[in-house]
Amino acid sequence: MKRSRLPFVVTIGVLIFFYLPIMVLVVNSFNASTYGGHWGGFSLRWYLKLMGQRDILLALENTIIIAISATLASCILGTTAAFALHYYKSALQRCHFILIYTPLVVPEILMGMSLLLAFVAVGVRLGLFTIFLAHVTFCVSYVAMVVLARLQDFDMAVIEAAQDLGANWWVTTWRVLAPMLAPGIASGALLALTLSVDDFVISFFVAGPGSTTLPIRIYSMIKFGSPAVLNALSTILLAVTFILVWASQRLTTNKEKAT
Amino acid sequence: MKKGISVFAATLLLACLAMLLGCHSKSVDLHIYTWADYIKPELVQRFELENRCKIIIDTFDSNEAMYAKLKAGATGYDLITPSSYMAKIMNDQGMLLSLDHAQLPNLLHIDSEYLQIAIDPEMKYSVPYMVSYTGLGYLQDAVADVTPSWKMLERPELKGRMTMLNDMRETIGAALKYLGYSLNTVNDDELLAAKAVVIGWKKNLAKFENEQYKTGLASGEFQLVHGYSGDILKVQEDNEQVAFLIPEEGFSLACDDLVIPKTAGQVDLALKFINFIHTPNVAAANTEYISYLCPNRASYDLLSEEIKSNPGIFPSAAIRSKGEVIQDLGESNGKYTKIWDEIKAAGD
Repeated sequence: MKRSRLPFVVTIGVLIFFYLPIMVLVVNSFNASTYGGHWGGFSLRWYLKLMGQRDILLALENTIIIAISATLASCILGTTAAFALHYYKSALQRCHFILIYTPLVVPEILMGMSLLLAFVAVGVRLGLFTIFLAHVTFCVSYVAMVVLARLQDFDMAVIEAAQDLGANWWVTTWRVLAPMLAPGIASGALLALTLSVDDFVISFFVAGPGSTTLPIRIYSMIKFGSPAVLNALSTILLAVTFILVWASQRLTTNKEKAT
Repeated sequence: MKKGISVFAATLLLACLAMLLGCHSKSVDLHIYTWADYIKPELVQRFELENRCKIIIDTFDSNEAMYAKLKAGATGYDLITPSSYMAKIMNDQGMLLSLDHAQLPNLLHIDSEYLQIAIDPEMKYSVPYMVSYTGLGYLQDAVADVTPSWKMLERPELKGRMTMLNDMRETIGAALKYLGYSLNTVNDDELLAAKAVVIGWKKNLAKFENEQYKTGLASGEFQLVHGYSGDILKVQEDNEQVAFLIPEEGFSLACDDLVIPKTAGQVDLALKFINFIHTPNVAAANTEYISYLCPNRASYDLLSEEIKSNPGIFPSAAIRSKGEVIQDLGESNGKYTKIWDEIKAAGD
């Protein structure tokens, strides 16, 4: 029987659909023409223009600080939450599960608005710290779900074996549990990092004076700024993302070869 | 190795937390909430030096989003630049401070002709910052014998190569102006006449649209577009055949205002900044940078010839007097919505 070519065609179609817009963007970032309707010649002018903008670099700095801190904090909280959810099966934990799950389905605008109202009510000064809290709030759920999935095929006997062999709590956690969960935590972390860098709606509401993040800045630039500078900025972000993914893949494959 | 990673992660987290919490600087900060790229950076630096303060600019992307955020209780902004209609809504809600004119001596430079049509003519709560216009952009090599009139939209040879804004107030307003009426009219006969005009134009249009027209004009797909001066001037940088005209029958004019919210912490500094922006040479420098017009009469003489001869930035006094600001019509907005629906459904 001849195999159907349909899956192949669909795959190619989907890949084109994913990557063609990105390629157009990258090509246009080197286009001397502002509106990308036609090719105005190769140029690095948008990259040079980007470097001269103090506000954009400040927004980038804010975004990086928040992304890293929110990712680390939500990894710790999310992993411990997942562990509790997996290990203890009580009514309280079922309730916990629902609470952890809810932020995944709550509309962003609702979450942004309610967080803002909460911060104002408590009297917290809006700024980087409130964005950090908001990002941890939704990132925890994603990390917890990913780690929980990893825990489903985790053999608890390993921990008991470690304890039988005289390992104390600390050693069990760091030498047995953490390495085995590491791939789950790492993919949760990548997800959290992406979500944090990406988020506009929630960040817009909880941002205070002096804490404009990159997405907020980009949305505002669509109205008055130059669209071509955005292409250059996106291309740089894209390059950094690819390098990160490539590096993390290399790291994980090397480790597997070693063991 | 494992320990190394965890120690590294913990240090990173602590460092970031310290940065999150430790952002309170000692010097005086002026927080401005505005659109991106809306103040010339050198002017910001000059104000910082002269007043020994630091200006921190945050940006929003729509009047509505900014309003929603402030209404919910966000504070910390000392100066905001909403569009006039939003400034009025904010003032009606009691969110804005009344301005002390004694601290704003430069207000005497503000163009009194503009103030006559402004929503806040006495500048009780807002000071005009930048004015922009709605008019027609066209390709000089494609459109022959140009006349500064809305009548251009009737040209048969441009059929299918023209667009109008997908905005009921702008597009019906253009027809009202073409007929010689106010674009804030609520008279049913005038609105019916305007409807017939827009339906007549529609037969010639490629589409009603707000964003794509810029790319379309740059690439030559469209030859005549109804659009905002700021947008069309940007396209001009890309394609030198692009030109902008303001129809002599009249046009709509939009303004962004400088306002101080009641929650501002640095009211005096914010007032100083408003006064600084309306220093004639500062206003002129800002106009040249943004390509919108700061309605500051004393600054007009200081503008370069290039700007003065560009009708998209600096229309002649005779034409400027034909401009009108779109006002919120309250309950009568429904009349426009109904006519707009009928226009959308007509023809095809």
